[in-house]
Amino acid sequence: MSARGWIKHRIGAFSLDVSWDVEPGTVTVLYGPSGAGKSLTLRAIAGLVRLDEGRIELDGSVVFDHEAGLWIPPHHRRVGLMPQEYGLFPHLTVAANIAYGAHDPDSHARAAELTRTLDLQELQQRRIWQLSGGQRQRVALARALAAQPRVLLLDEPFASLDSELRRAVRQEIRQVLTASHVPVILVTHDAEEALALADHVQIIDSGRIVAEGDPVTTLRQPPAPRIARLAGVENLLRMRVARLQPEDGAMLCETLESPPLTLETPLAEAREGDVVTVGIRSSDVILASSEPQGLSARNVFAGTVASIEPRSPGHDVTVNCGAGLSLVSHVTRHAITQLGINEGTRMWAVVKASSCFLLSED
Amino acid sequence: MNRRAFPVRLPPGGIITLVYIAFIALPLIALFVRAVSSYSLWDSLTSDITLTALRLSLVTSLISMIVVVGAGVPIARYLSRRTGPLSRVIDVLIDVPLVLPPVVAGLAMLMAFGRMGILGDALDAAGIRLPFTTAAVILAQIFVSAPFFIRAAKLGFQAVPRELEEISQTLGISPWRTFWRVTLPLAWPSIVGGLALSWARAISEFGATIMFAGNLTGRTQTMPLAILSAMESNVGAALALAVILVAASVIVLFVLALAATRAAVPAGRLE
Repeated sequence: MSARGWIKHRIGAFSLDVSWDVEPGTVTVLYGPSGAGKSLTLRAIAGLVRLDEGRIELDGSVVFDHEAGLWIPPHHRRVGLMPQEYGLFPHLTVAANIAYGAHDPDSHARAAELTRTLDLQELQQRRIWQLSGGQRQRVALARALAAQPRVLLLDEPFASLDSELRRAVRQEIRQVLTASHVPVILVTHDAEEALALADHVQIIDSGRIVAEGDPVTTLRQPPAPRIARLAGVENLLRMRVARLQPEDGAMLCETLESPPLTLETPLAEAREGDVVTVGIRSSDVILASSEPQGLSARNVFAGTVASIEPRSPGHDVTVNCGAGLSLVSHVTRHAITQLGINEGTRMWAVVKASSCFLLSED
Repeated sequence: MNRRAFPVRLPPGGIITLVYIAFIALPLIALFVRAVSSYSLWDSLTSDITLTALRLSLVTSLISMIVVVGAGVPIARYLSRRTGPLSRVIDVLIDVPLVLPPVVAGLAMLMAFGRMGILGDALDAAGIRLPFTTAAVILAQIFVSAPFFIRAAKLGFQAVPRELEEISQTLGISPWRTFWRVTLPLAWPSIVGGLALSWARAISEFGATIMFAGNLTGRTQTMPLAILSAMESNVGAALALAVILVAASVIVLFVLALAATRAAVPAGRLE
């Protein structure tokens, strides 16, 4: 049971051009900013949008093929769509919601089994408005799976949960998804979520897939600045390549202002004198309140704290190191109090050379 | 002295509300007081004219409501999904009977379906004669009361999140069955509310009926018309009819209110 297909669709000035191939029991994450066409893609696979062109295959059977003039309506496609707000039926109990799509003894048994797996027995007679966000999510998942879908389409499944709960349920959901042996397409704009859940990542921007591959490579060290910005690489530095050191597998880059600061990065395809963009994740920048000694890390910059912005789960601290270099570091609230970080505080920012990566220009 | 000792300190809005309630309640109380104190109340209540008119009112309004709901639900559902200039025009046209004086509506119907009406010859050829028949009473009621139902039902359908209907379909339920299992239950309170308003309008129909259907005992003389006729000879009988009409209305509205509480979703819980 796999899900594959491609679609092309225009709505006014926006055009969507995507394709996918998802194996059973694996999760493909469709990652991108809002308005990129992620939800539209899910709706298209579900049959809720009439498409211009494409071919959609679920479990070996074609449900849409514009060339053959084939269009199977949503209720005959067997797709499990879980929208952002879950779309639970407010006039039905939890049990009736889960069994909504069940049509034979087999699927009723499956609904009962999912109720147990997702720990919903106690809630069966509740109404939807009596449930917490996490409970709603589990009910929606049980309902979608009970209908024995050939593909599961999850639209920002964690968006309406608070961040702590999000982390807690993620692994649980991941296990349920893998155990279901259903191909899963999950939409998110949260890079952390994509990393935690994906077997395969597709980065989508303005209706097009701009990068895809395994989650770590694609999201940790995205190939282009544009995707890096999408993927939440907070430090994008314009630098000039000063010296290549092939013998160390390293190279030195300088800031564009003089006198410049020098940053050591892994060796990349570049020539001396090239102006490049270096990406560093804020979670890879370490802060120290006194000048660190005896470090293996190659890059240590002294600077002052320019700003402290809360960003779940911690804070982004921007350190201005002079010479046009400022680095954003993501630290916990705890670290802020312990190190006594305030605006104007003198700090040292530490970056391992291997945390820096070069981005090719768009 | 405690300033709050005086139990009621009403803001201006509250005082006006009280005056308004008195204005509404007083005539109704007066109606009952006068009806009960009239010697012939029981005789009037059980007189032939009263019972005939009551039966005619109930039967015609029931048939009207069956037509109004049967046609109104699909119309409301259709309009609830449409946007754009044409549907705006249709919306306004559907509301026209709401602002039309009933007498004018009756005259207009006579001009359309009457003997000298536009369709008069065609209907005559088909052997159909509408004016001054019970059918005319029903047509008049439908004409004036349907907009109330269509309006309310349309708002009810519009309040049903489209997403829920879509989800239902992805779960393998056809659009038709989705309508019965999701759309209708969620729009239910609005539909019943619309039915109550519409029925109240139909049973009190007077102007259009008297123009288009006349005032014939047993055939077209509904309760409101019977009240008018009774006033000319016997105020007591008119009072008795009025009391019955009020009682019947209250009972039906009460039943409909009960039906509306069957609503599966408390107000404000949709979505």
